[in-house]
Amino acid sequence: MTCNTEDWMHRFRRGNSDYCNFVVRMSLLKPFSKLPALNTANILLVESEEQLQQNLAESLVEESAFTVNVRLAKSLPLPTENDESRPRIDLVVFIIHLTSELSLQSVEASVKYLDPGYFLGKVCFMVTNARNASVPSERLDAVRKLAASLHCPLLFAEDQSPTGVTNATQRLLTILKVSAGLVPMVTALHLSNLTHCTVPPDIDQPSFD
Amino acid sequence: MDESMKRLLQRLVRRIPAQMLKTTLEKCVRLTASQQRSVEVLQPKWAFTETLLDICEENGWTVKHVTKLEMTCFMDNPNQGMWYAFQLVDPEDDAHAVELMQFKEKFKYHLKDLVRPVSIKIKKHTDEAVWIRIAWGDGFSPPNHLKPTYVVHYLQTPYVFVTNLTSKRKPLLCQALVLSTRHQIIKDANLSGRKLTAVRDLLMKQYQQAFPIKYPSPLAERHETVSNPHIEKEQAESASKRFQMACEAFGDGMLPQLQTSIYKLETKFRDHTNKTMTDREKPFRCVVKFESTNLLESLRSCASSGIASTPVTPLLSSIPLKGRNYFVVTDNTPGPASQTRQPLD
Repeated sequence: MTCNTEDWMHRFRRGNSDYCNFVVRMSLLKPFSKLPALNTANILLVESEEQLQQNLAESLVEESAFTVNVRLAKSLPLPTENDESRPRIDLVVFIIHLTSELSLQSVEASVKYLDPGYFLGKVCFMVTNARNASVPSERLDAVRKLAASLHCPLLFAEDQSPTGVTNATQRLLTILKVSAGLVPMVTALHLSNLTHCTVPPDIDQPSFD
Repeated sequence: MDESMKRLLQRLVRRIPAQMLKTTLEKCVRLTASQQRSVEVLQPKWAFTETLLDICEENGWTVKHVTKLEMTCFMDNPNQGMWYAFQLVDPEDDAHAVELMQFKEKFKYHLKDLVRPVSIKIKKHTDEAVWIRIAWGDGFSPPNHLKPTYVVHYLQTPYVFVTNLTSKRKPLLCQALVLSTRHQIIKDANLSGRKLTAVRDLLMKQYQQAFPIKYPSPLAERHETVSNPHIEKEQAESASKRFQMACEAFGDGMLPQLQTSIYKLETKFRDHTNKTMTDREKPFRCVVKFESTNLLESLRSCASSGIASTPVTPLLSSIPLKGRNYFVVTDNTPGPASQTRQPLD
């Protein structure tokens, strides 16, 4: 705690912009600052439209092998009033609807409020409507670049049907189990090395549409 | 009956859907047993029209009866065409004492004074509304029953709803209304829509409204939600605040089904990146139109989901607050200005 205060003092002297920096730093969600619970995994779903996350949540809590707690948010930062009651978040999922530009912008802004420790396998991006013809291809490319630069896996989900939601749930549970430490011999970092998104070298070249 | 009347009857009957005709016939007209049977037979519309015309001949019906039938059908299904709302202003001292018989007599007298020939039918609906059907004629031709104007007025309120009125006849109708309701001026309420019930509910505020209260849920213990304890919303408080503000702006529960909202902008163009347009002296004229199957419902969900910023901008919240959906936005008055708009021919 002491080193944090000194840090704060230094930054405060350096000026206002650094004070804002400090404020952002203080509202970061941290991955290891709380103790985990027994046989429990906590997942945070961040979605600007607040629709798919509800269906996913209802499907996720049906998991019986271990307890799944789901927290739903529209964007980050999370309200500080809930800091005390919030458990340790094992996996943060950003849901982007490719049909909306606002969705991507909201996620790009929210990503800044995560402690860098999360990006070692505890963040994943989920994208919907990737097959939709009216979606500009630049948007999916932008999401790919974002996921690749942050070294996170990119999942594609189909949110209109119950089977689509179930499939997405299963995939999230697989990653969640590893991130929560419930799978022996596998860590989140290990898994993310295998599953993180990569950008093909010709991503910036125009496609044949 | 002569040929012209027959043709008129044919055209009138043809315009009304068969099912509605049948139900209205059963409701308000006494038919003999054989006539009743012939009506109930399932037949194509043209055959049904023929049957009906035969019944008309047998019973000696005239245009009067058929227009009464048409009016009843229209009263049951008023959502055809565009309804325009008008407001009566400056009541005289006895405006609040106008009752039905007095209104009927005065309206007929004044309108017949202004235009002749004209066919007027006044009926009181079950929900206290007075319906007036006007078929206009001029000096040279008889009343045109194929394009009647319908007027709905709630006695002792200053609201009048009109459909199918041409701009030529508008001053005549306005004069008759003003004189018979004992007001001084009638003006356009800047509200129009396809559904009479929606227009009426919006203007007369007959929907559930939410008022700002300091402690929204005093009995929090009773409102324990039975949702899954494992699922928790992080930003539930801000979401409920947004929902509360959206409801305060637009109302709770079912909202009147308004379909369009038009903003006529006469403001200067303001965009820092576009110097040529911004430097123009004259205001940039453009019209913004919002369309939806249920506009107020969609605006409310925009506000509660955060797409529209809360507190709701007066441009949007004026729609239910002032009961209008046509606004002229100028630079000095960011709220809606008062300019009348003519109902279209």
